[in-house]
Amino acid sequence: MRSIQRRLSLGLVSVLFIIGLILAQISLWLFEVGLQRYLESGLRNDSELLLVAIVRGPNGLQLDEHRLSPGYQRPYSGHYFRIDFDGGHWRSRSLWDLELPQPEQPGLHADLKLEKSKQSLLLLHSEYRKFGQKVSITVAQDYTPVKASFARVQRIGLGLGLTALMLILILQRITVRRALRPLDTAREQILQLQQGQRSQLDEQVPLELEPLVAQINHLLAHTEDSLKRSRNALGNLGHALKTPLAVLLSLAEGQKLEGHPHLRATLREQLTQIQQRLERELNRARLSGDALPGVRFDADVELPGLFSTLRMVHGEHLELNNHVTAGLVLPWDREDILELLGNLLDNACKWADSSVCLCITREVDGFCLLIDDDGPGIPLERRDDVLGRGNRLDEQVTGHGLGLGIVKDIVESWDGRVQLLDSALGGLQVRIDLPERQVLPHTAS
Amino acid sequence: MRLLLVEDNVPLADELVSTLSRQGYAVDWLADGRDAVHQGASEPYDLIVLDLGLPGIPGLEVLQKWRGEGLSTPVLILTARGSWAERIEGLKAGADDYLTKPFHPEELQLRIQALLRRARGLANQPTLEAAGLHLDEGRQCVTREGEEIQLTAAEFRLLRYFMLHPEQILSKSHLAEHLYDGENERDSNVIEVHVNHLRRKLGRAVVETRRGQGYRFGGAGG
Repeated sequence: MRSIQRRLSLGLVSVLFIIGLILAQISLWLFEVGLQRYLESGLRNDSELLLVAIVRGPNGLQLDEHRLSPGYQRPYSGHYFRIDFDGGHWRSRSLWDLELPQPEQPGLHADLKLEKSKQSLLLLHSEYRKFGQKVSITVAQDYTPVKASFARVQRIGLGLGLTALMLILILQRITVRRALRPLDTAREQILQLQQGQRSQLDEQVPLELEPLVAQINHLLAHTEDSLKRSRNALGNLGHALKTPLAVLLSLAEGQKLEGHPHLRATLREQLTQIQQRLERELNRARLSGDALPGVRFDADVELPGLFSTLRMVHGEHLELNNHVTAGLVLPWDREDILELLGNLLDNACKWADSSVCLCITREVDGFCLLIDDDGPGIPLERRDDVLGRGNRLDEQVTGHGLGLGIVKDIVESWDGRVQLLDSALGGLQVRIDLPERQVLPHTAS
Repeated sequence: MRLLLVEDNVPLADELVSTLSRQGYAVDWLADGRDAVHQGASEPYDLIVLDLGLPGIPGLEVLQKWRGEGLSTPVLILTARGSWAERIEGLKAGADDYLTKPFHPEELQLRIQALLRRARGLANQPTLEAAGLHLDEGRQCVTREGEEIQLTAAEFRLLRYFMLHPEQILSKSHLAEHLYDGENERDSNVIEVHVNHLRRKLGRAVVETRRGQGYRFGGAGG
């Protein structure tokens, strides 16, 4: 979709341009017609003066030279006449060696060229009767200066018009931008929403935007609420299933089955399978995935708790290093990140000899999470197996071995990538690359 | 060692009570959070196993109340809600360890052992060591200078308590409080009998009698 701003500008410019052009052209034309009418009355006056100057002489009709205006004497002066009558014709001296164009019809004629000269003529042709004779008088006036000044007026008008157009455009842009500012704000807020910098849109918006913002906020609240509800329901389901499972596991290990080793083995195996499957699926269902997070992961707030939990579970002999920049916020759901880091660090702690290191850095287009330990590591050829579905990392180390499976589920739901590498500490390095949350494409305006 | 188990699921509680009793713990069982708040604070338990999904008051609140009253008994949380967010919440409320359901009974046993040792400031090793004795809690037998000595259940309980509290003077009534659950009769003569049995098996010097005060383990034999 094109931007509203551009659409408004384009519409306004074309409308203003067309209307302005038409108006300017029409007013020029009207003015010119008016002017010609005025000049016509002058010409008519001239031709009547000429008529008066025709007198009866000894050899028939005669033109009284004294009555002629001096303009008719100077060559190419711009005022010309030609009088035709039965006995011949008279031309003004100003015509010199040129011939005045002779229109067929009486009346006003514009834009006639006077041959050779560059003059454009306004010409009045009229017929009279005097002394019983038919006299036709053609008077003409050079129209070129008027035309030139018209052209100048036209140019100035065009310049003024264009300047006005620019001015209108700039003002319109400012107005539109001001009017659309709430939209821009909303767009910025949606961007922040995407990046996880806010959880709700600002409700203080113009009337037109109110339903949209309210609806988005409602949806966000709804998403968060339903995530919470489904997590709660999953927790309840887990509780309802896991407690009986714990009873069964305990029974399977109990003394009553000591006489039936085969039965015990089968029970154990089946229960373990149920347990692993349950754990994995419940965990997967808990993930918020790509939904906008309700509560983001604030490293400064969450990591101390996580680290002290790990210290408590794994004892104080481990050195847990935290190389996370202060103030780092990961734009994903808090519980998902905790689950991710908890599982990875828990695994690292189980394997490490003395130290575990967590490092989170901001990359150009996302985040990079590094979890290092100084344990035995995983041989290159086994790494793919370990990342496979629900593989147990080791049978001896306590835990269900689902840690990495869940980590993979979480990372994949965010389009990220898990890699197992060699750590500088000597053990395993788990590297997780999380791409930036998809941001709505936006055009700078 | 006297434990309080707070768990509302009766079959699981039954199972746990019998398993833990077999492992030589005196177990009191409660199913309601309100009772737990009161009894956990008033009886001298060595460890509390607390389920979070309780009727009455939720487990986390019970724990917060205990810690608010200054109760420092180690608490092991038992819950079906195993996400890390909830785990951290539990430990923030004052829990010492966290076990998610379903669990292997052996794992519960190991966690309880580890917690009890940690509470006494002891290292978490496969056997409990004190005064030249190595106590294998899984097999309930003791080794001294490479020689393995079998113990009865009652002797094992008593010796474990002594070994977790070496060089401390423990009165008979204190021992009775920590070795028997609330329902069994606490007869201090029984303790005298078991102490004598231990002396017969491990040598007289292993437990010293302080007249009018009680017993002291590992003081002289050290």
